[in-house]
Amino acid sequence: MAATPDPLLTVSDVRRDFGGVRAVDGATFTALRGRITGLIGPNGAGKSTLMGVVAGAIKPSAGRIEYDGADVTGLPPHRIARRGMVRTFQLSAEFARLTVLENLLVAAPAQRGESLWGAELGRLYWGAGEDVLVGQARAVLDRFSMAPKEDELAGNLSGGQKRLLEIMRALMARPKMLLLDEPFAGVNPTLAREIERYLMDLRDEGLSMVMVEHELSVVERVCDPVVVMAQGRVIAEGAMADVRTRQEVLDAYLIG
Amino acid sequence: MSDAMQFYLSTLLIYLFIDVMGVLGLNLQFGVAGIINFAYIVFVAVGAYTAAVVSLGPDFPGNFQHYLFGASWPFPLPILAAGAASGVLSLVVGLISLRRLRSDYQAMVMLVLSLIATLTATNATGLVNGPAGLANVPQPLFDQLGLPPLEYQWVYAIWAGLLTALTFLFVRGITNSPLGRTLRAMRDNDRAAAALGKNITALRLLIFVVGGVIAGISGAVFVEFIQAWSPGSWLYPETFVFLAAIIVGGSANNWGAVVGALLVPVGFLEATRFLPQDFNLFGRHVVLFSGLVDALQWVAVGLLILVFLWFRPQGLFPERPGRFTPRAAIASAGKGE
Amino acid sequence: MSQLVPAIGFGLITASILAIAAVGFTLQFSVTNILNLAYGDVMTASAFAAYIANHAGVDIWLSLLMAALFGAVFSMLLNRFVYFQFVRRGTRLFGMIIVTIAMSLIIQNVLLAVFRPTFFSYEVSASASYTFAGMILTGSQLAIMGIAVVAMVSVHLLSTRTRLGKAMRATATNPGLARSCGVATDRVIDVAWLLSGALCGIAGVVLVLNTATFSEVTGANFLVPIIAAAVLGGIGQPYGAMLGAVTIGLASEVAASVINPSYKDVVAFAILIVVLLVRPQGILSEVASGKEVAA
Repeated sequence: MAATPDPLLTVSDVRRDFGGVRAVDGATFTALRGRITGLIGPNGAGKSTLMGVVAGAIKPSAGRIEYDGADVTGLPPHRIARRGMVRTFQLSAEFARLTVLENLLVAAPAQRGESLWGAELGRLYWGAGEDVLVGQARAVLDRFSMAPKEDELAGNLSGGQKRLLEIMRALMARPKMLLLDEPFAGVNPTLAREIERYLMDLRDEGLSMVMVEHELSVVERVCDPVVVMAQGRVIAEGAMADVRTRQEVLDAYLIG
Repeated sequence: MSDAMQFYLSTLLIYLFIDVMGVLGLNLQFGVAGIINFAYIVFVAVGAYTAAVVSLGPDFPGNFQHYLFGASWPFPLPILAAGAASGVLSLVVGLISLRRLRSDYQAMVMLVLSLIATLTATNATGLVNGPAGLANVPQPLFDQLGLPPLEYQWVYAIWAGLLTALTFLFVRGITNSPLGRTLRAMRDNDRAAAALGKNITALRLLIFVVGGVIAGISGAVFVEFIQAWSPGSWLYPETFVFLAAIIVGGSANNWGAVVGALLVPVGFLEATRFLPQDFNLFGRHVVLFSGLVDALQWVAVGLLILVFLWFRPQGLFPERPGRFTPRAAIASAGKGE
Repeated sequence: MSQLVPAIGFGLITASILAIAAVGFTLQFSVTNILNLAYGDVMTASAFAAYIANHAGVDIWLSLLMAALFGAVFSMLLNRFVYFQFVRRGTRLFGMIIVTIAMSLIIQNVLLAVFRPTFFSYEVSASASYTFAGMILTGSQLAIMGIAVVAMVSVHLLSTRTRLGKAMRATATNPGLARSCGVATDRVIDVAWLLSGALCGIAGVVLVLNTATFSEVTGANFLVPIIAAAVLGGIGQPYGAMLGAVTIGLASEVAASVINPSYKDVVAFAILIVVLLVRPQGILSEVASGKEVAA
């Protein structure tokens, strides 16, 4: 691991208002390369909104977001995703009427058959690329033990399998950084443990992540460092062991 | 076969081809890409008007009808102009409505657009001759071919069939490709598609324009056949006839669109157009007032939509996910569960 | 200038009719998330109900009340036995729009089949005309404005001062939460449809009182300005709908007097487009934008 901190994502003083309500009120933090940064805090702290802002789905009212050495503030979500920062959603966001395999294939960037004329040129033009993608998708499915489900409609999967599908799909988009919004929500404990292990493996292979999570025991095992939010602000940043003893963090959880 | 029967059958066949084209275009927008276009019939109408006015001769003061752009263009320019006009209009409407509006607002704006287009065409008499509409639209190559009417009509049926086949292949090229898969993903969850790097605004706009061009061409083929076009031919419920065809046939399935067109606009509406207006029922002479059959048809279309949405929302030919993935994928289908 | 004053008078009447109709339309969306495109046809059906009563010798104003009752019950039944059933079966927003359009086709054409394609009018005793600041208004027109004001004030009082109103707003914002807080959401929804249906019925009759004759498409033809007013104010916002109604009513009548009366609705539509380009969520839209984020 790098000796000097190497930030991949830097969020500076980001604000977001909804009408009169300030959901995010000057949030600042950095996420390092090759780490899983935890984003924690009580309900309504603005974590999901901040994730939405970072991913480009919600426009910030003010502030600056730097990713991989470039300013990405206010870029639309697809441009941010194409730079390698890919998010998952708090509620399941599977493509319900596509098969599991199709869900993965969709995510692959820059497909030849995705333009109008590329599509019309037919399989001769895009077939070879498609076969390569199918190979990659099957490898991902195998790794996450989902190979038997590849022809299942995504809408028919269980809640936990849908979460897994979202992570697999995000991997197909060739990310450098994953933004995971409560990846364990609604997942049974066994599967949750498996997902946890997958995420740590991915980190060890060099993938960076920011993860919103409620379950602090998971955060403790997986995330380093953690960023604590309350009432739209970042109130603490550091290793979980340090952060959890700080008075302002305890206050936030007790009051929030 | 008698000449009258041949006329009837060839007419029905031409209507079928035109309706198949129209339904394929709307199915691409609605079934595949999830775009709600309640103004679809307007794009059919614009194609029809465009083909009509550019193939009619220049307007003159004593003319019985008044319009813009009379140009006597020869075949096949009017059809190309129709596709281009509808495509450009789609681009403009799409740029305004698809970019920033929430989808329920989009739906409302499209419906209102449809009503407004009718109002404008009806009131602006100098544009496309107001409520009376255009008549005497020249049939393509009628003089050059020099065929008797019945034979000409069969030739026209073949021509319409050819265009329909091309449309089908073009639409299938989209639906059976990575593009089609991405469109269906966008339909199922547009935010997730955007989060995976798909430019959903551009994709929606693309399909809105492609569907619009198909609508325009179908309108042109229609007007060059019946040789007349007026606001009464494209009132907003006509879009729902196409939607009903999609719901019955099967959303996001091209063969479903063909079957839907065969069953709803052709089988259901054209066939009943020839019901007798008066008949004897249990010895009593019954005379139907004009418009009653039409009214009952619309009631039936409404009921048909409700019945299908209730009992079989996926239609007669449901969407077939994953069907263009390579053979190996299909072979392993049995492994699931 | 001399042209403008009567146009403003007409504009206020149109705005009054629109306000009644648009508030009912928007209420249905806010409480049940249904864009009821059969709304115009329920207006027409109510107008026919008043017509039957009126031609059976009932005074027109009493007929209006009966039409309100008819609209209320009809709308409530429509929601309970058709729309709600589809929602429960999992039909989503656009499926629901198509369901309402199917109902629109059915209602409109059943009316056509029953009443036949002719024009109908009410028996209204001739009333004196009144002149205000250069505007000449008939007694009926004054009554229409009065009805609109009473209806709007009632809606306002109902939604802010009563438990029912609060329950309705709670159901509109978050039905799940409202239910777990002990609000009987099913009953609230029934009441909301009764109320919006009554507004719909009143709107149908006053619309006909203003235009003098009607047919099976009268209500459906009025749907454009209703949608324009509701969308302009932000769909689901009663006060927005009132504001939209005044804007659309005045602007379209004034524009009609300046340009050409047949372009009234075109003007309404143009205003709608321009406003949506500037504010894609409508004028009063905080709740709407919050919904988008939560979606």
